[in-house]
Amino acid sequence: MSFNKLFIILNTGRTIRQGMFMESDGKWSKKYFDEVAYIEMNPEDVKTLGNPSKVKVSTNRGSVVLPVRVNDRVRKGSAFIPMGPCASLLVDHETDGTGIPYLKSTKAIVEPTDEPLTTLQDFLKILEAKVVDIPITDLETKPGEKRVVENVSCPFCGDVCDYLRIEVEGARIVRNVGGCAISISKFLNYNKHRILKPYIRDGNRFIEVSLEKAIDMAAEILANAKYPLIYGLSSTCVEAIEVATEIAEVTHGVIDNTSVVCHGPTMLALQEVGAVTATFGPMLHLADLVIFWGCNPREAHMNHISRIVMPRGRFVEGRKARKVVIVDVRKTVTADMADLFIQVEPGRDVELLRALRMAIKDLEIEVPVVAGVPREKIIELAEMLRTARYGVLFFGMGLTQSEARFRAIEEAMKLVQELNEWTKFVLLPMRGHYNVNGANQVLLWNTGYPYAVDFARGFPRMIVGVTSTPDLLANGDVDAALIIASDPAAHFPRKAVEHLSKIPVIVVDAKWSLTTAFADIVIPAGMVGIECEGTVYRMDGVPIYMKKILDPPPGILCDKDVLEMLLKKVKELKKVSS
Amino acid sequence: MTEILIKNGIVFDPLNNIRGEVMDIAVKDGKIVDPSEIDLSKAIVIDAKNKVVMAGGIDIHSHIAGPKVNIGRLMRPEDHYLTNKPHALPYRRAETGLTVPNVFRIGYGYARLGYTFVVEPATPPIKTRHTHHELNSIPIIDKAAYVLVDSNWITLDLIAKNDRDLLATYFAWLLYTTKTYALKLVDPGSDFAWVYKGRGIDIDEQIPFYNLTPRDIIKSIAEASQLLNIPHKVHIHCNRLGYPGNYITTLKTMNLSSSITKLSPSYILHVTHVQFTGYKGDSWATLESGGEDIARELNRNPDVTLDLGQVIPGRPATTMTADAPFEFVLYHLTRWKWYSTDTEVDSAAGIVPYRYRKKSYVNTIQWVIGLEIALLANDPWRVFITTDHPNAGTFLDYPKIFSWLVSRKAREDIMKEMNQRALKRSALPSIDKEYTLYDIAVMTRAAPAKLLGLEKVKGHLGIGADADIAIYDINPFEVDISKNYEAVIKAFSRAWLVIKSGEIVVKDYEVVNTVYGKTYYVKPEIPEDLEKELVKILEPKFKEYYTISLENFVIKEHEIKKPAEMMIRTALRR
Repeated sequence: MSFNKLFIILNTGRTIRQGMFMESDGKWSKKYFDEVAYIEMNPEDVKTLGNPSKVKVSTNRGSVVLPVRVNDRVRKGSAFIPMGPCASLLVDHETDGTGIPYLKSTKAIVEPTDEPLTTLQDFLKILEAKVVDIPITDLETKPGEKRVVENVSCPFCGDVCDYLRIEVEGARIVRNVGGCAISISKFLNYNKHRILKPYIRDGNRFIEVSLEKAIDMAAEILANAKYPLIYGLSSTCVEAIEVATEIAEVTHGVIDNTSVVCHGPTMLALQEVGAVTATFGPMLHLADLVIFWGCNPREAHMNHISRIVMPRGRFVEGRKARKVVIVDVRKTVTADMADLFIQVEPGRDVELLRALRMAIKDLEIEVPVVAGVPREKIIELAEMLRTARYGVLFFGMGLTQSEARFRAIEEAMKLVQELNEWTKFVLLPMRGHYNVNGANQVLLWNTGYPYAVDFARGFPRMIVGVTSTPDLLANGDVDAALIIASDPAAHFPRKAVEHLSKIPVIVVDAKWSLTTAFADIVIPAGMVGIECEGTVYRMDGVPIYMKKILDPPPGILCDKDVLEMLLKKVKELKKVSS
Repeated sequence: MTEILIKNGIVFDPLNNIRGEVMDIAVKDGKIVDPSEIDLSKAIVIDAKNKVVMAGGIDIHSHIAGPKVNIGRLMRPEDHYLTNKPHALPYRRAETGLTVPNVFRIGYGYARLGYTFVVEPATPPIKTRHTHHELNSIPIIDKAAYVLVDSNWITLDLIAKNDRDLLATYFAWLLYTTKTYALKLVDPGSDFAWVYKGRGIDIDEQIPFYNLTPRDIIKSIAEASQLLNIPHKVHIHCNRLGYPGNYITTLKTMNLSSSITKLSPSYILHVTHVQFTGYKGDSWATLESGGEDIARELNRNPDVTLDLGQVIPGRPATTMTADAPFEFVLYHLTRWKWYSTDTEVDSAAGIVPYRYRKKSYVNTIQWVIGLEIALLANDPWRVFITTDHPNAGTFLDYPKIFSWLVSRKAREDIMKEMNQRALKRSALPSIDKEYTLYDIAVMTRAAPAKLLGLEKVKGHLGIGADADIAIYDINPFEVDISKNYEAVIKAFSRAWLVIKSGEIVVKDYEVVNTVYGKTYYVKPEIPEDLEKELVKILEPKFKEYYTISLENFVIKEHEIKKPAEMMIRTALRR
């Protein structure tokens, strides 16, 4: 029997290929778009719909037409779209006071269709992008002298592997030993899709200007704005973020970083209950139980398992002495390595965590099944937790973006705190961007808050749901935006992105992001960790000073220098120069 | 550079034996000079008549920077809500926070107290780069940090190998590599036991896995610090901190100085925030002050110094320490928020918010201990005023402590509000000693400078000293501070004028200038052969233990905003 439409629960997240092509060919490439513009569905569901090759996916926020990929890892009644522009058109922008939109478990309708597939141009049109044709160029790299740089740190994910060996020939990076597929992609293609000149927008196209002119105009926008937004920062160094913080303070604006849509809820939970955590070392040397909850390191933090789980530690044999448990809504590739895989119903992690807290205390669980997991399995897992010598719970977007948001994380944190009555147990959020942790840290020492910090009244405040970027944009509260090393247009819900088409936007970035389509001023920057030095904070808080391998392209400055020029100019305009 | 003449101030300058004399102080090029060197036609002249002039205050132990301080900020949003002060650009950035303030309030807050040098007392090596980021961002004050070494796996390996010279060489390397000032021991050996087994240990218990006791660790590190000849030797947070009965452990620790061969001048060991380790009794119900016993040992043993960790009742605190097992215990008492982290190879840390209540029996005993020790000590040069900020209270409340030390009436007045049962079991109510302003200048300026080995340039107002100066609006010739202790609190809570490195930073009680001070660290010289031997050991150990590479562990000089490097001649020979 076939139906002409299906109600499904839509899940979004990172994939390896999405990450690789984002870092290699860039966000404007067909390769990248093909890797974010599809829907993964369970074979039975596809069959129910009559095996269509493409479907129209609709939510109360929008609809797109996507090719179907059949995958039995997706549970029946659910579907998966990689994070990116297509997913963003469908998800709900409402944050219900938590600062984070509903990026997982969105209710959607899927139906076979004859309409054409949604393209990147459609996407830009729907969002009313200011510019749809951008001057994409690759940086010319001349071959030359061969060099090898040891102990290079990788500027991709929160693991910040700092043992890469990078081989260079002239201005070409030819080899990356030790890095994962995404890391290799990032280093070897560092020259692709680069912004090589400052630009300002003239109608629907960009024209080249001098750096001084671009800075002057950007400063004027920021100085004249009543309430500017400074956003991004998780992919630059702390030295640059510190300058950006001062710009926000001087302009009485808001400074926010990408954690608002990833581990923001983790910060909120930490504000409520604290946490028990560790750096990688103790996990490597002691852990005999490793849980990955709502995270997929094999696709998002690809060296994580080979660094911490597989090798032998000082007090523990390698993988064979460690039990690995995966809790997820879908059977990810990480789940393939599990000793125990627990498939939780979408959005109900908080119930499972609460049941585990009961089970470790031998309290009776009255219902036979919690969040799709049989009671016996919960009790079995609880026993594993209590009897571990040193347990580790890694968690990701599956928890932070679930419907319970920070409440789910609070449960996880309390569970781990309580487990310390029996044994040693720690948890660690799997931070995405290589310096998103640093972005939180800089804001904390400057303002006392980790993200969404507002300076409207001349002192810092953090009011999630109000001063958080998705809300500020969706509610139309800010009247200018400075986007640094980040791509909100690719990853924010539709209504939030639409506001960027209505206000002046300044983009500082090394590569052409989709956000540049909404920019009025584009300022090029060097790539931290490749062309620029600076410190970044690994997901476990270990700060690492990144060295540079190559000089930035001629005339191009590092983020820190660009922001310092901007700050100086803004201070002059605001008449607060010292 | 600015030239300044401070006229007719009432000067307290113990290092130069000046006890409240009316005199002029001249400043030129950031230094104190003879008044005759000043060009009066362009100098700023400050009339300090009827005001007290002291060198800038020095705090030897205050948690102002680093990973745990920042997590403290994260964990305590309620600490910031009602403490905001909008910026006054371009002179002053926005301030927020009480127990865990932002970097700006830390710098400005100390400056407004007339303090110009503060030491962060516990930084784990692998995260010290973070500590420096925050130190770099704190305005006005000079700063330094002590590096944690007692539970470090490489330290323990070298102690177990009994290689004294190599241990000292490792510390020399570690101090320079992390750009820190002195060696810090926190509940010695306990963080190893905590990370490995989830518990803490007493001074003569064996730590798991290693065949060593905390006593061995303290001795070995103290001996290494003698070989290194670093200015501030070892800074010890004793074992069993926070447990009733722990004053015995503290006495044992102080006693250890007698087993250390003194190779260089200055004190052998410093016991920090002694209040937390001065508990007599065998339970919270039978808790009593061990203050008298500790003061007696201090008076007997000239090689030991102490700081108080004085409790401030009635205000919130945020406890944060590398003593992770103790924070686990405290979490059981408070059952609110608890943060704990195991830091690879070198330490662990915990954070628990707390509040000291005047009516609480235990909190009153805690308050009593610090004051008993301070008042019963014979030598103010070996007792330092701290709150172990923000553990027992915030540094902003130092003036309250000054008032309790200089005025018996101040103590009596607050004792009326405290727990009477606790006071009945304490000696404090019968102590009538009152310190003078000169003594306060000793405890907060001269003695700390000496303890840190900086007495040539810091902590005094003699010619050649750094021009770090605080002027307080109080006239001790007119005000009887013993009776009118409120005047002391008022005057010392907000300095009238503060000069940092020759620049006016506080004027009319307000911050008027955001400048940045230096970060002090030591570079003990190591003989080449020992350095080679160390590298041979270090490289494989780093590969095995750490999850970052040796090369990326090293903090470079350019990562420090204003480095002040001190070369140290060591006694290391091979």
